[in-house]
Amino acid sequence: MFDQFTSSPFVVVVTAAREEARQRGAKRMGTEHLLLGLLHETGSASVRALGVDLEAAYAALEELDREALHAIGVDVGDLAPALSAPARTAPPLTSTAQAVLSQAVKNAKARTRDIDTVHLLHVLLDRKRPDPAAELLARLGVDRGVVRGRLQERGS
Amino acid sequence: MEHDSEDLTQRVEAHDPALGLRAAGALHRLAEQVEAAATGHARRQGWSWEQIGDALGMSRQSAHTKHGK
Repeated sequence: MFDQFTSSPFVVVVTAAREEARQRGAKRMGTEHLLLGLLHETGSASVRALGVDLEAAYAALEELDREALHAIGVDVGDLAPALSAPARTAPPLTSTAQAVLSQAVKNAKARTRDIDTVHLLHVLLDRKRPDPAAELLARLGVDRGVVRGRLQERGS
Repeated sequence: MEHDSEDLTQRVEAHDPALGLRAAGALHRLAEQVEAAATGHARRQGWSWEQIGDALGMSRQSAHTKHGK
């Protein structure tokens, strides 16, 4: 589906996202992994606009898992519930992740010929809870309006 | 036992559904971590794939495919 974009930053981000999902033992690659993939591109316009880093995102995911477990009365001590045994191969995409990627590609085509990771960030910023990326952004304290403003400044 | 499951239902229902669903995912990921570590340990202690499969409730072949190096 994305073959024609090989080696673009967009593909680099999606590849990083798939690797994140695999490493973390996720059953599916979801929108939260796409966000992690974006954060891999240190120094990119997307990461600068977001103003958070990968470490913060890992910590936030861990925190979300701990809180969820605590809510049902499970205390996992110092184990890391957000992680799992890495899978052998990258898991398939959730249908939402697939839709998000298609939308990002479509938006990029409509505006420029350049598939920029910023288009992906825009689509992720539009996601609403309980979308996993939206949950993660909320936990990171990311203000969507501020991020959109920063992206706009960059674009003009 | 019946009492416990009622209690769990109550805890889950006291929160947003996202929380219960996330907890289920986190438990699953934790179980995978424990399974991988315990299988490695058992192999080093000389357990056969059949014994490990029996303990995990899966076939010898599945255990080997999943955890064999």
